[in-house]
Amino acid sequence: MILEVTNLRKHYRQRAGIFPALRSRERFIPAVDGVSFCLEEHETVGLVGESGCGKTTIGRAILRLTPATSGRIVFDGHDITAMSARELRPLRSQMQMIFQDLDAALNPKMRVRAILAEAITTHHRLSDGEVARRIGELLEQVNLKASKLSNFPRELAGGEKRRVGIARALAVGAHFIVADEPTSALDVSIQAQVVNLLRDLQRQLGLSYLFISHDLEVVQLISRRVAVMYLGKIVEMGLADRIARAARHPYTHLLWSALVEGQSKEASHAPLNTRTGAWEPFDFERPVSGCRFAPRCPVYEARGRPAVCTDAATEPQLHDIGGRHYVAGHFPV
Amino acid sequence: MGAPLLEIENLRTYFHSRSKRAFIRAVDGVTMVIARGETLSVVGESGSGKSVTALSIMGLLDAGPGVISGKITFRTDGGERNLLHDLEHYVTLGEQDGRIMEVSKDEAGWRKQVERIMAEVRGKEIAMIFQNPKSALNPFVTVGHQITEAIRLHTPTKHPREAKERSLYWLERVKMDSPRLRFDNYPYGLSGGMCQRAMIAMALSSEPALLIADEPTTGLDATIQSTIVGLLAELKSELGIATLLISHDIRVVSRLADDVAVMYGGTVVEYGPAPEILGARFGLKHPYTAALLASRPSAQNVEEKGGLPAIEGEVPDPIDVPRGCRFYARCNRVTEDIRDACARHEPALKELTPGHHVRCWLYGD
Ligand SMILES: Nc1ncnc2c1ncn2[C@@H]1O[C@H](COP(=O)(O)OP(=O)(O)OP(=O)(O)O)[C@@H](O)[C@H]1O
Ligand SMILES: Nc1ncnc2c1ncn2[C@@H]1O[C@H](COP(=O)(O)OP(=O)(O)O)[C@@H](O)[C@H]1O
Ligand code: SF4
Ligand code: SF4
Ligand SMILES: [Mg+2]
Ligand SMILES: [Mg+2]
Repeated sequence: MILEVTNLRKHYRQRAGIFPALRSRERFIPAVDGVSFCLEEHETVGLVGESGCGKTTIGRAILRLTPATSGRIVFDGHDITAMSARELRPLRSQMQMIFQDLDAALNPKMRVRAILAEAITTHHRLSDGEVARRIGELLEQVNLKASKLSNFPRELAGGEKRRVGIARALAVGAHFIVADEPTSALDVSIQAQVVNLLRDLQRQLGLSYLFISHDLEVVQLISRRVAVMYLGKIVEMGLADRIARAARHPYTHLLWSALVEGQSKEASHAPLNTRTGAWEPFDFERPVSGCRFAPRCPVYEARGRPAVCTDAATEPQLHDIGGRHYVAGHFPV
Repeated sequence: MGAPLLEIENLRTYFHSRSKRAFIRAVDGVTMVIARGETLSVVGESGSGKSVTALSIMGLLDAGPGVISGKITFRTDGGERNLLHDLEHYVTLGEQDGRIMEVSKDEAGWRKQVERIMAEVRGKEIAMIFQNPKSALNPFVTVGHQITEAIRLHTPTKHPREAKERSLYWLERVKMDSPRLRFDNYPYGLSGGMCQRAMIAMALSSEPALLIADEPTTGLDATIQSTIVGLLAELKSELGIATLLISHDIRVVSRLADDVAVMYGGTVVEYGPAPEILGARFGLKHPYTAALLASRPSAQNVEEKGGLPAIEGEVPDPIDVPRGCRFYARCNRVTEDIRDACARHEPALKELTPGHHVRCWLYGD
């Protein structure tokens, strides 16, 4: 077990205005609200869910890039939840993030060579010759031309930036990688290359991934298990194949059926006649009690709005339905 | 129909490569037309010049030399304007065997001229949704304030309270959750997809005649993506907003586009009505378009080929553009009859059927 996350919470504080007098109107956004899952060595777990549901926040909290509000994170046998920066240092090189924002990790004033050299030497003291050798190795691993080493990030195409980002994560020697939307800013042909690259690297180097994406199809391709999130909570989790062909949570069905045009999707994904356009966005200022998905849930509608769905005392919890498949909801489809 | 809303003729946009001391020929002779109230979609691999084309129209290039030739005609009720008016007075080009080898440009002078032309157009008559939302929002101003200001600046709504109501309306329309809460958010407190939606709301709130959307749905999940795509379709019929839609997502493109332009290596290699270009039935396709369509991810592709099929090879290096057909190195349809032509001479964009143009030696003799 490389990673074990138990009951993770991250609540962001949100001020109403910039004036201190208004601080009393301070509100909280429960971005991640009680999430538990684990990741085995060499495994890829996919995390899907719609924009703003807390995927990036989970990734950042696991890597201790942002402090968790509560919960427990065990990495490689070490409880890192409350570790000091110094204790954390040796572990930092083993876990890395590929950031959603293509430019986030690339200093615009540094050439590619310097970016990689900096990453290589952050955690290890190496001679110039060794650094050059390591850079050569990384270029080969991520399939990037050596001529790009003298480029600045702005002189790289999106796919190349992504490769540099991956090389940078590998440079420090990470074997657990949080890949946050690694394909979303790229066009189709490059997406394919990046997904294939990540799969090859996993095989070669024995990496483990938490693969974050809003694209259920891409997640499906790369993950062994998939967790589906809705507004800060995991609502369904299981083997990728089960999530694709035998999803039980109404939200997972909604995600599948919303794939525009739904090309090549088996009919089993759309048993619910979901009108994806007709929903109200969620409002944290007017939270629903009980199941957070109720306002958009077709099953809730179809069953005549059962009280159990919106009763705070019976908020659905993840439970095992067999075959390593977990669902949170009162009326699995 | 009348004259088209926007006409781009032979646009060239180059950059200096600091590291290589050469030109990056990012956009190298692009011609396309957007009709009033219609959606033109630009597709093509990363690095093919899609975003640079968009930024050239907006006059928003921050690196030199930038736009060096071409004409962009924009027609509104107020008349006809060339957005590159007088460009030739700022640029001198030196050619060698029909290829531009030297550029000298009065960049500061041109920047002033562009600002003069674009000041009343940008954000008002032409609005843009950027590929990188974080860079488009001011990090020091709340999202709500930014949208409210845009509305007061670009629409008849001037009263602060009305403008605020209007911006909440747009935040709701792009399905921002807790819109009143987000109104007071600074961009750093928004997730990637929320930033994207905030920017879309800002662009739409000024109700432009032309919307340039650069990858508007990347980073958005299927449910919200489908909502945004639906919203763009509604705006097209409600307000008659014409759209230049840059997207790599063929599913989105096929739902919205009237016409499609396929870009490769800085030029348009195929151009025409969406059903002909995207449809499986039409045999006359540029070999690159065919490869692009075959590479879209689908469950079927994965099962048959054990992974996502990628187009073999790489896009041409814009610093070192090949002399012949730009797709030659990756093309699998070259026949012995045309090999010589493919390797040495760039084919012209030829009209095969009404409105359908292809740049390939296989077609049109
Ligand atoms: N620094 C912050 N301050 C306040 N709120 C924040 C901050 N970062 C994130 N949030 C909020 O936390 C919630 C989850 O955000 P997160 O970035 O994890 O979403 P996500 O699932 O990665 O979405 P996307 O797919 O759009 O990237 C959102 O409501 C967001 O506005
Ligand atoms: N500011 C810049 N300076 C130098 N090169 C650039 C700049 N902007 C874009 N380029 C280059 O121009 C080419 C086209 O880029 P772009 O239009 O962003 O491609 P895309 O089709 O993916 O949107 C790429 O090779 C890119 O690296
Ligand atoms: S608990 Fe009720 S409202 Fe929630 S997903 Fe299940 S059926 Fe829908
Ligand atoms: S011109 Fe020749 S190389 Fe180019 S796409 Fe056509 S057949 Fe292929
Ligand atoms: Mg995110
Ligand atoms: Mg682009």
